[in-house]
Amino acid sequence: MTTTDALMPPPGDAPPPAAAATPTAGGLPPSESVARQTWQAFRRNPLGLVSAGVLILLGLVALAAPLIADYPSGYGEDVLAGPGAGHWFGTDDLGRDVFAQVVWGTRVSIVVGLAASLLAIVIGVLVGVAAAYFRPADLVLGVIVDVSLSLPVLPLMILVAALAGPSVPTLVVVIAVFSWPEVARVVRSQGLAVVPMPYVSAAHVIGGSHLWIIRKHVLPGVAPVVAVSVVLTTSRAVLSEAGLSFLGLGDPNSWSWGTILHQAQRSGSLATAWWTTLFPSLAILLLVVATTLLAVAYNDARNPRTR
Amino acid sequence: MPAGARFVTRRLLRGVLTMWFAVTVTFFLLRLLPGDPALAVADPGMTEELRADLLRDYGLDRPLAVQYWEYLTQLLHGNLGVSFRQNQPVLDILLERLPWTLLLAGSALVVTVALGIPLGVVAATRAKGTLDRLIQVGGITGQSLFIPSIGVFLLYVFGVVFGILPIGGAMDDDVYGLAAYGSIALHLILPCLSLVLVQLGSYVLTLRSTLIDALGEDYCTLARAKGLPNRKVVWRHALRNALLPTTTLVGLQLGFLVGGAVLTESIYAYPGVGRAIFEAVSQLDFPVLQGAFLMLAFAVIAANLLTDLAYGLLDPRVRTA
Repeated sequence: MTTTDALMPPPGDAPPPAAAATPTAGGLPPSESVARQTWQAFRRNPLGLVSAGVLILLGLVALAAPLIADYPSGYGEDVLAGPGAGHWFGTDDLGRDVFAQVVWGTRVSIVVGLAASLLAIVIGVLVGVAAAYFRPADLVLGVIVDVSLSLPVLPLMILVAALAGPSVPTLVVVIAVFSWPEVARVVRSQGLAVVPMPYVSAAHVIGGSHLWIIRKHVLPGVAPVVAVSVVLTTSRAVLSEAGLSFLGLGDPNSWSWGTILHQAQRSGSLATAWWTTLFPSLAILLLVVATTLLAVAYNDARNPRTR
Repeated sequence: MPAGARFVTRRLLRGVLTMWFAVTVTFFLLRLLPGDPALAVADPGMTEELRADLLRDYGLDRPLAVQYWEYLTQLLHGNLGVSFRQNQPVLDILLERLPWTLLLAGSALVVTVALGIPLGVVAATRAKGTLDRLIQVGGITGQSLFIPSIGVFLLYVFGVVFGILPIGGAMDDDVYGLAAYGSIALHLILPCLSLVLVQLGSYVLTLRSTLIDALGEDYCTLARAKGLPNRKVVWRHALRNALLPTTTLVGLQLGFLVGGAVLTESIYAYPGVGRAIFEAVSQLDFPVLQGAFLMLAFAVIAANLLTDLAYGLLDPRVRTA
């Protein structure tokens, strides 16, 4: 619930370009040209390109973690050594290399962020589309979404994660279960603009089944919103994971950026050995800023008015 | 029933429904999770008999529906259970903490809105200018900050390097009278600032876009055509309407604000409900965790109700809709 509102078109705004261009009428496949136009506009935006580059780089670091640094474990000799040639990001209170922690932390942070976000997107899209398409369901689903959005989510996540026991799968499920209402909200409001469109009515008239209409006509209409949502939900999931891990609910058997901060807090080196907190913090900031700017750039490129 | 009374009743009902939802979700989450609630109080080494006794004591051997009913009545009586570790009613522990959280979150909200409005106006009136770009990038970056990171950074700079602000707690022990208020204010600065930095962006960006829309409306063109100075058009005409969606944003952001307060209090050892959560996590004190969530949910719902009612006062269309 941070940037989404500033980025999402209000419901009832101009018809989404992709929806207007859904290849229903046959003939030209206009969606392809929309994609190409979007890509060409995106290519001219340096901020978007840099963000995409940063994300690709972080993804590569996550994939190649074993090649970049040894898994940080055990004890080292240099305790709380500052950044230098031997340890680029310094060492923590047990002498473990912070650079290695950040590199391996990238893996867990991104995996948890992506997995939680994908799960949340699937649930959110299903609920959002169902609410927009089947009006009676909207009464119940809309209330559930509204109600869960107005509750403080982090304390609830903490309670559940503490009960279920800290592990990577727990984090993924807990974050997803409490993130989907946000997705459902934006998908529903976009869906409400798409469902009354003439081409959806036309699909009813020619006798299309509900499932077919949703798959072929409603889903493509909400797809651009979903694309933005994937990016934003991922960055929010990364922040949630960092928050839970910072509070001590991270997977005890693996490193994530939040876990590094948790260890620094627990050992009391938080405020004195600045390198134990600066580098994981920068990693979080880099990932979240890059995802947000990517979403902004994609949105601008997609919208003909800002293209 | 007059429209106004109906509006208030509907909002009240909605608040009650939301609280019921929070309570019910908590109840069923606790019982349906893989972990047996008895495990939380029981030692793994205890005998089967002792475990059964314990379950009976806590009423965990009865049917789920009975337990649920019992749970609801207990909550209505203000019984949030007893802390595992402190052997004290959870409600007492948390009520002692709540004022600090309300102070922190409330002051952060006030400062955010007080800074957000002028910044949003500056950005909107200079749309696409350098200052506007700066404010936009700043807003996005602020939202992307991880609260513990910004907290540690501020602590390090102002508490350790410059040493001008206290590094934790809510007040000094040995001050009384007026000095106590001063101490409270000094201790509040850094936690409050951490929350403001993270919150500010969404207010500025929302106000910016609604204000740009409002400035393009006919009534603003008319006001300019009448010869009103631009400052008046912005502040007296456009801003009034642009502020309405911002009021909604307060309601939407409250849950997020409270989550931020939990992290902030953990960093600064600020003695609010969030710090109680932080301590309860390391001690696996589930009654405190559950009580803290319910209490924060209640606070958010009550604050939300107030924003809704304020919105109704500001915008007559909401009352009649």
